[in-house]
Amino acid sequence: MRAFRKRVPCVLVVVGLLMMGWGLVLDAQEPPKPSQLVVSTWGFNTELLEENLAKAFEAETGIRVVFDFGDNSPRLVRLIANRDAPVVDVVTFAPNFAAQALSAGVLQPINTVNISNLADIVEWAQDPLGGHYGIGYTVQILKLAYRTDKIAPPVTSWRDFFRPELAGRITIPDLNTTYGPATLFSTAKAWGGSLDNLETGWQKLGELIESGALLTAYRRSSEAISLFEQDEIWLCPIPSFSWPSLAALNLPLAWVRPASDYWEGMVASLNTLSVVKGTPNAYWAEKFIDFWLSVETQTQMALDKVDAPANTKVVLPDDLRMSFGLDEDISTAVFYDPAFVVANLEEWLDRWNEMIAQ
Amino acid sequence: MRNRAAVFALTGPGLVFLGFSLLAPIALLVASSFRSGDAWTVAPYVSTLSKSVFRIAALRTLRVGLIVTAATAFLSYPTAYYVSKLPARRRAVLMSLALFPLMTTAVVRTFGWFVILSRQGILNRVLEAIGWVDRPVQFLYTEGAIVLGLTHLFFPLMLLSLISAMENIPPDVEEAARSLGARPLRAFARVVFPLSADGLVVGGTLVFTGCITAYTTPAILGGTRVLTLATLLQQRAMTLLDWETATVVAVVLLALATVVNLALRRLRVRGVS
Repeated sequence: MRAFRKRVPCVLVVVGLLMMGWGLVLDAQEPPKPSQLVVSTWGFNTELLEENLAKAFEAETGIRVVFDFGDNSPRLVRLIANRDAPVVDVVTFAPNFAAQALSAGVLQPINTVNISNLADIVEWAQDPLGGHYGIGYTVQILKLAYRTDKIAPPVTSWRDFFRPELAGRITIPDLNTTYGPATLFSTAKAWGGSLDNLETGWQKLGELIESGALLTAYRRSSEAISLFEQDEIWLCPIPSFSWPSLAALNLPLAWVRPASDYWEGMVASLNTLSVVKGTPNAYWAEKFIDFWLSVETQTQMALDKVDAPANTKVVLPDDLRMSFGLDEDISTAVFYDPAFVVANLEEWLDRWNEMIAQ
Repeated sequence: MRNRAAVFALTGPGLVFLGFSLLAPIALLVASSFRSGDAWTVAPYVSTLSKSVFRIAALRTLRVGLIVTAATAFLSYPTAYYVSKLPARRRAVLMSLALFPLMTTAVVRTFGWFVILSRQGILNRVLEAIGWVDRPVQFLYTEGAIVLGLTHLFFPLMLLSLISAMENIPPDVEEAARSLGARPLRAFARVVFPLSADGLVVGGTLVFTGCITAYTTPAILGGTRVLTLATLLQQRAMTLLDWETATVVAVVLLALATVVNLALRRLRVRGVS
């Protein structure tokens, strides 16, 4: 009995030492927290990004989040210029620019062990660039917006762009924008072509331009929205992130899925989250990405009409799902390979400029 | 000796700053336009100048620049002449008013024209109201819209340059010409205009350079179909990351501005002589 009483304290001390050691080991796996993380993204809804991402992440981790706002191309240019001493930790890109960033060598693979929410992300968004260089955090659906009071019968197809009564009342995305190549592909498919045979698409776009039907090719969705507001256009393809702003104009508008997309699926695009190569804060950058992908953050961003969710566990009201274009069967979404676009973009752009320049 | 030292001391810092901020970057720009990878070559020039879209954009840029420079000069001369004759206090007030638009960014002023020139804009409404047209006319996304926007944008620069030049013309010079039988228009053409040539050179250089390098106004009012060298440069640099072509376009813009400045100075010399 005396021996037992002597052994119990010793055992307790040993167990205590083991637990302390295990705690030290766990702490050692988590690198020190930086004072801040720099996140490069678009400057839309900046207050909501601050609220839903920066402040919420800081409250959870104590790490301040600083945003570097801008369009895709200037942000990519800055990443490349600073590649030897990156000042950004996390970056969001549209797929073509993500592919360019990847080929420029300014992204590094994400350690998916640190992304606990990855399994909840819709399958085609989990690794859109391959090699885990990016994760899709929001999906954009491209549909056709048109004035229901100016156009009859209703628009149902990419072929409707060729209606003679719409001459001068049409705009399409410029080829050097995120949805420019998708417009070329969809036009080709609508008229019997394919991704392997885009000549039909080029020919039809050329007819659209030469006939004077095309008012202009827009560079930003805000430009298309202004054109609707000024009654300059009645029809254009527009992605889901622009639809709430367009709907807010209180014009008689409809936003429809073109019939030709039923042949192979609905045109969609992902915005991706990536870790910048060489960042000293890779672990916490991945934690931030994981935070952005969580059901709570994705739900709040959707409810605030910032981004459509890629997290399958997010539940939204029906009207909100419709405004994001998620009322359609998202499993039919077609994502064009950004690497295919990037590989051909210079040649396409030269040809496009020759066609469109007056 | 002492004077030389004083001059150097006063101008030295400014010259050093200009050297670093202006001359060195220009020299680097021109040098890099002859580089492709690690090789010195004219291939970027051959590749860029052979594209028809470059030639279209270059001709349009030159044309728009010259038209806007001529338009601002034509509109500014009468105004500058009138303002330069006013008493100092009234002159100062009107010059402040001329400067006022410059306090608003070019983006805001250009969007103003976007609204005015749209199919629902005031211009179309007036034309429909007076019966000149029976349906709205498309004014946006035309070269004319760009010319209008840039003329409005750069008018104050030409006006202020000419006012400054005309202020320095002694008033009795023009009076002397008239007393010798010259009619007002002839006095203006043979006396005032040559003596204000410095203002025209400065204003013309500022306006022309501003026009050919303007991006916002051509992008908003011209769109993607009415390309200028500035919008082409943006496309090549920011979409394709094609710095070789962008550098060549930048050097061409620099060359255009230099040529026009030299031409204006030559015309000034001929006018004065």
